[in-house]
Amino acid sequence: MIERIHKWRMAALAVLVMGILAGLGVRLAFLHLASHKDLEERIARMRHTERTIVAERGRILDRRGYTLAMDLAMKDVWVDPMAIQREGHGGFISTHLARILDMKPAAVLDIVNKEGRQFEYIKRHVHSDLADQIARMSFHGVYFHDVMTRHYAQGELMCHVLGFSNMEGVGSAGVEQQLNTYLRGIPGFRVSQRDGRRAEMYSRRQLDIAPRRGGDVQLTLDQSLQFIMEAALDRGLEEYGGKAAWAIMMKVDTGEILAMASRPAFDLNAYRTSTPEQRRNRAISYNYEPGSTFKVPVLAAAFNEGVVTPDEIIDCENGVWYYHGRPLRDYRPNGRLTVADVVKRSSNIGTAKIGLRLSEAQLEEYLRAFGIGRRSGIDLPGEEAGIFAPRSRWSAISVTRLAMGHEVAVTALQLLNAVNAVANDGFLMQPYVVKRVTDRNGRVIREGEPHVLSRPVRPETARLMAQLLARVTEEGGTGRNARMEGYRVAGKTGTAQKPIPGGYSDRLNIASFVGFLPADDPEISMVVVVDEPLPLRTGGAVAAPIFRDIAEQAVRYLDIPATEEDPQLAAY
Amino acid sequence: MNTAPLKRYLVRSDWWMHLSVLGLMFIGILFIYSAGFQHADIPVSGFHQRQIIWALVGVLGYIALAMTDYRRVAEGAWWIYAATLCLLVLVLFIGKQVHGASRWLSVFNIQLQPAEFAKLAVVLVLARYLARPGRDIGHPRCIWLALIMAGIPFILIARQPDLGTAAVFVPMVFMLLFVAGVRLKFIMILVLLGMMLLPVAWLSLGDYQRDRIMVFVDPDRDPYGAGWNKMQSQIAVGSGGLTGKGYLKGTQNVLGYLPRTVAPTDFIYSVIAEEKGFVGAAAVLALYGMVLISSIRAALVARDKLGRLIAVGVASMIFFHVFVNIAMTIGLMPITGLPLPLMSYGGSFMISTMLGLGLVQSIIVRRDRR
Repeated sequence: MIERIHKWRMAALAVLVMGILAGLGVRLAFLHLASHKDLEERIARMRHTERTIVAERGRILDRRGYTLAMDLAMKDVWVDPMAIQREGHGGFISTHLARILDMKPAAVLDIVNKEGRQFEYIKRHVHSDLADQIARMSFHGVYFHDVMTRHYAQGELMCHVLGFSNMEGVGSAGVEQQLNTYLRGIPGFRVSQRDGRRAEMYSRRQLDIAPRRGGDVQLTLDQSLQFIMEAALDRGLEEYGGKAAWAIMMKVDTGEILAMASRPAFDLNAYRTSTPEQRRNRAISYNYEPGSTFKVPVLAAAFNEGVVTPDEIIDCENGVWYYHGRPLRDYRPNGRLTVADVVKRSSNIGTAKIGLRLSEAQLEEYLRAFGIGRRSGIDLPGEEAGIFAPRSRWSAISVTRLAMGHEVAVTALQLLNAVNAVANDGFLMQPYVVKRVTDRNGRVIREGEPHVLSRPVRPETARLMAQLLARVTEEGGTGRNARMEGYRVAGKTGTAQKPIPGGYSDRLNIASFVGFLPADDPEISMVVVVDEPLPLRTGGAVAAPIFRDIAEQAVRYLDIPATEEDPQLAAY
Repeated sequence: MNTAPLKRYLVRSDWWMHLSVLGLMFIGILFIYSAGFQHADIPVSGFHQRQIIWALVGVLGYIALAMTDYRRVAEGAWWIYAATLCLLVLVLFIGKQVHGASRWLSVFNIQLQPAEFAKLAVVLVLARYLARPGRDIGHPRCIWLALIMAGIPFILIARQPDLGTAAVFVPMVFMLLFVAGVRLKFIMILVLLGMMLLPVAWLSLGDYQRDRIMVFVDPDRDPYGAGWNKMQSQIAVGSGGLTGKGYLKGTQNVLGYLPRTVAPTDFIYSVIAEEKGFVGAAAVLALYGMVLISSIRAALVARDKLGRLIAVGVASMIFFHVFVNIAMTIGLMPITGLPLPLMSYGGSFMISTMLGLGLVQSIIVRRDRR
């Protein structure tokens, strides 16, 4: 009887077990044999991955080949907060990430604890060795992206010319912006599959186009000259005060920019913390009334037209001269001066009278030939054109005001370029900063070459003008502070009152000095501008010493031979 | 009687079971290799080699127990039971922590899982207790005592915590009581009691366990988290088709979609299903069916109640594992960490399964000569 029951129960058990196994088999059949097209699509979608691979940006080098800007391979560290929260190691992971990345643990924890997120950056542009350190701890949910980070070897040096490229590797200022197409390279593209940990499977790449590194840009600027210039500007601002200062040095016969600096400046490696004021390259973007430095192109025009000779006597009216009922004043009163001394002592009245000997059409034509009122076309972004009204809009006294550098605004680059034409036998050059661009194989793909823009004056006029300008730095001249041992410096001071609402300021000036050397065989030209120096506020007192400071070091660095005294020329 | 010549063993033993057991172990090793295989150039992790050693040890234990009289083994049941309880207590204190659970005892650098042996020990001790001549199966006290015997290791294992393994005790004990002849009324009462305890059990579950069950109820709840393994396993099985993608050609495990840590253990079946398709998966299912039929046959032909109960206990243990594991692989059950007998990577379970099947063979060999 008992056996009977057992048999019955055993049979029931056997049926149950077999029934369930058969049920599993049926389910298997349904899973396997049903159409699994959508499953395969799901798999493919899950695994498919497309990636653009950032190309390494080309380098920026100085005139001598020193690296100023380059790309470093770095990593973005990011997390999948949902994955981390699932594992529940958020606190642990945050602590380690914060320690290695030098961040606040609470800040990292906040990111890791974000709800419903599967992608959050922890820190971008992290050094590879730090990222490796994290990778070795193999945290679940912590990932990396390869990125390139722009690094500027000299930090602040040449910041305005170099500019910077942003997080996405797009040049956003300076040469970085202007030559972005050359520098950026060609990004690669990869179609591949990824595994369950989101890592790419190298053996399953379907398409792999390698990125192509951008071209290297070599500048005409020399980092040593740049350093000399920037240090001198900083010293000048310290000594004379002022809220800004800028300067440009140019190679006379080619128009190559050797140095270009603007103050205030900023650290390129921390450009995001800089202000627009710091980022402004005043050397090419600041329009200002030049004042007396502008007499150079005006006088050159007069000599070229032969309407005046250097030793002609001009009555400078003892400091005040009324023209069309409006007074014109000299900074220091003069009586009768030779034209040469009008230049040397920077008489406004004298220059105005000389200017009036030219027709308005002639004056405008000459000034335009000198590049006034027009962008020079330098290969940098953000250049201003200055302000120079056509003569149809001139008033009766405009010529007298233009002659002394009023009613006109220029950029330092325009003015320097005009003066450089005087130094360069009358050839107005195209200023440029890019010496050459080479591709990743070293092949030259763009070469910066000297280019003559115009020829405003004859060589004789230019040489005569150079000699007159050389006297400005002699004893009794306004530019004597720019005088150098062993070299004749040709130049011109400029002091312009700054426009304020309702007129001109009595206190605030723009002081400048523009010149070139050696006067008899010019090699370099340079302009120095200081904005609002106080209490000294004339070009001669403020800008000329800075000019000399830079020039003295530059001639040694460039190995420019010293000038011998030429008694014949000293007669003027 | 217990020194029968070797020939008698060979003739009387169940060859269908020998063959299906060897077949399952062989297939298991093949696919443990496949689960570790990524690319011809990358060395495969040593899981399959270790599994071969475990299989050999298991086969030795299988033969040894088949040749030993199960009645003599059952005489030591209480000692075996006591020893396993000691190990289970020990593992709670000095066990090796893996993912927050201490399940392993390290002996001479070999990781042992006492819980696996506890299943067998409970089968032995319950069989012996319930088969004792003169035992009044109809008396409730007898049932309560049986429940306590199974309950002690159940609680110890649940404390590790390893609820999946502990759960194996439930159907095992029910089947033993059922076959032992306990009145259906009592069994129904037990079932009702158990159902009343379910809400309590739900509350005592850890978050991750509740997640897994919720994901089972609502598969799209968290496809990248708790639902990941289930979804990927189902994709793996489904994409196998009729004949599969071919040996070593499965992609779900190779690419880490089925996490490499679980592919050779709990998800070995989905590797097989993907690479060998319905044919392979069904064949494996059939082999298990053979093992189970052999075991149930052993229970039917057993010369005494002890043998019958041991055979039923072993069969129910294997059945529950097979069912839960395959059902979870194909998305019919929530994810539980129950391995597939004879196939999943792991030494302790391999050996305890083989010892259990050895006992079953011993029962078959010593069956009634009717």
